[in-house]
Amino acid sequence: MKTIVKLTFVITTAALVAGCASKGVRNPSGVPVTRLNADEQGFVAGTGVESQDLVSVTDQMARSILRIPQIANATTPPIIVLDPVENKTRFPINKDIFLTRLRSELNKKALGKVTFLARDRMAALEKERNLKREGSVTSSSDAGVQEFKGADYFLTGTLEGMTTRTAAGTSDYILYAFQLIDARTSAIVWEDNAEMKKQGLEDAAYR
Amino acid sequence: MTQRYEAAKLREICFPTSLRLCVFAFKAIPIVALLLLSVGCASTSAYRVPLTGDIMVDGPRMIAEGPPRDRVLWQYRTAAAAMRRGDFEQAKALLDAALTRLQGVYGADAEARKSRGLFNEEARKTFIGEPYERSMAYFYRGVLYWMDGELDNARACFRSAEFEDSGAEVSEYRGDWVLPDYLAGLATTKLGGKGDDELKRARANAKNINLPDYQPQANVLFVLEYGPGPQKYSSGEYAEQLRFRTRSSSVVSAQIKTGSINLQVAPTDDVNFQATTRGGRVMDYVLANKAVFKSTTSAVGDAAIISGAILASGRNHRNSAADEIGLGLMAAGILSKFISAATTPEADTRQWDNLPQFISFATLKLAPGEHVVTVEFNDINGAPLSHLTKNITVNVPSDGDKVVFVSDASITPQSQ
Repeated sequence: MKTIVKLTFVITTAALVAGCASKGVRNPSGVPVTRLNADEQGFVAGTGVESQDLVSVTDQMARSILRIPQIANATTPPIIVLDPVENKTRFPINKDIFLTRLRSELNKKALGKVTFLARDRMAALEKERNLKREGSVTSSSDAGVQEFKGADYFLTGTLEGMTTRTAAGTSDYILYAFQLIDARTSAIVWEDNAEMKKQGLEDAAYR
Repeated sequence: MTQRYEAAKLREICFPTSLRLCVFAFKAIPIVALLLLSVGCASTSAYRVPLTGDIMVDGPRMIAEGPPRDRVLWQYRTAAAAMRRGDFEQAKALLDAALTRLQGVYGADAEARKSRGLFNEEARKTFIGEPYERSMAYFYRGVLYWMDGELDNARACFRSAEFEDSGAEVSEYRGDWVLPDYLAGLATTKLGGKGDDELKRARANAKNINLPDYQPQANVLFVLEYGPGPQKYSSGEYAEQLRFRTRSSSVVSAQIKTGSINLQVAPTDDVNFQATTRGGRVMDYVLANKAVFKSTTSAVGDAAIISGAILASGRNHRNSAADEIGLGLMAAGILSKFISAATTPEADTRQWDNLPQFISFATLKLAPGEHVVTVEFNDINGAPLSHLTKNITVNVPSDGDKVVFVSDASITPQSQ
């Protein structure tokens, strides 16, 4: 008798749960974003431009620039001006951060082989020079002489992207391309690139 | 041996198995109920933020003190309200925070996983919005980047706005916003590139709207919005179906007047259309299954209780097998009803409730300096609705573009 009662209770309850189990959803927990470098795989938050990309790309570019003859064999340090990077991806980014890190890496590694001009500070610099010319402040040299330097090279770059989205997830490829352009001839004396591909899938709750 | 048998028989008579099972079941029911209730309500009691009805007060307060899962929702709402007040710095900060969360949505998320569970509501997950809401967040941020002269980042946002719409069920409606594509192409043109592809795509999606050719020399870009945006609601037996209610707008066009210029601006995109053409979500299937589970456990519970009661109260002899089975069924039925009651298939209807219905644009070439601009919002007969008229003082710079954002909900007068 006991067995019948217990069996009834267990079978009814099991039927309730098992019989009504919901249908499966593919990848219900999503797939973590994976950075698809050739030799590296890690977990990242998004498929866009992130700090590890910035570090990796600028390290690679700085090493690459220092090897070119125009810089490695220069008798006097070439003067470089940074021209803002153009973002052609679908990710809004702080563009200046690429060139800022590239400049600081070059300054750190080049040991005086290159000189950068602070063109982004021109307004303040011109104001200071004018104050010197007016005699409002002291000057250690002849303020009337034009001492602002012109550029030998422009360092600039572009970020280009390609996005694919399917039911399996989102894939973003970003090409980071940098160029060193001769200011006199417009010749591109150096160019290098780095590329990243990332993909991920959000939780089913967001799909 | 006989004594032991007699004692067991006596116990059985005084306290039959079915009765013990019933006692066990009834003891278990409150525990199960309490457990389910506490699980269901665990996350709602910790945040009690008094609301005033003023978004500029409530928004920052909810972002700081409200549930983390609603933070993006309040960032969206507050950003839109800040833009209408001309507080673009605040809008930028809010949208940046929201978009950072939005861009990091990939992979496993504990709260999202729980929201798919039988006993947790969908609204438990972190809100990032439906695709039309995400697209609008990117659109607004793009406008703000353009204001700052960062045309490439503006273009990135417009492209992301289209991307967010790329998961629509029907291919015809994927990435079919008009203005983000048009403005992305205009940004490309102004940056010295060719925006032809984006213009072509915008025109293909524009249907009856005549989009002008790009005029790179135009230095003032008006971005306009008007009308009431979509409202979410839930339907179905257990409110498991997410639906959108659209309201007809009293404003159907706008008019920009400054100096000798009198320019009529028709809508370019309809946010209501975007909300209602997304199609089914994966989550809809999850919620439908939850509803089936809820319905079935309830029906089975009813059947078990009724059949159990019939069996237990039948003309059987006392302590018969039918009695025992009947009581067992009743206990299982009650448990099933509790499980059904604790199942939460309700769709998440949290919504960005201050979105407009229409967004549009106009480009003008204006001389550098201050211009007094009147923006009128017109009804279906072309007559201006005077209570919505905005007076904006526009300061056009000598170089670069001026972006002017005007909503029918903007404060007036305003200087931009």
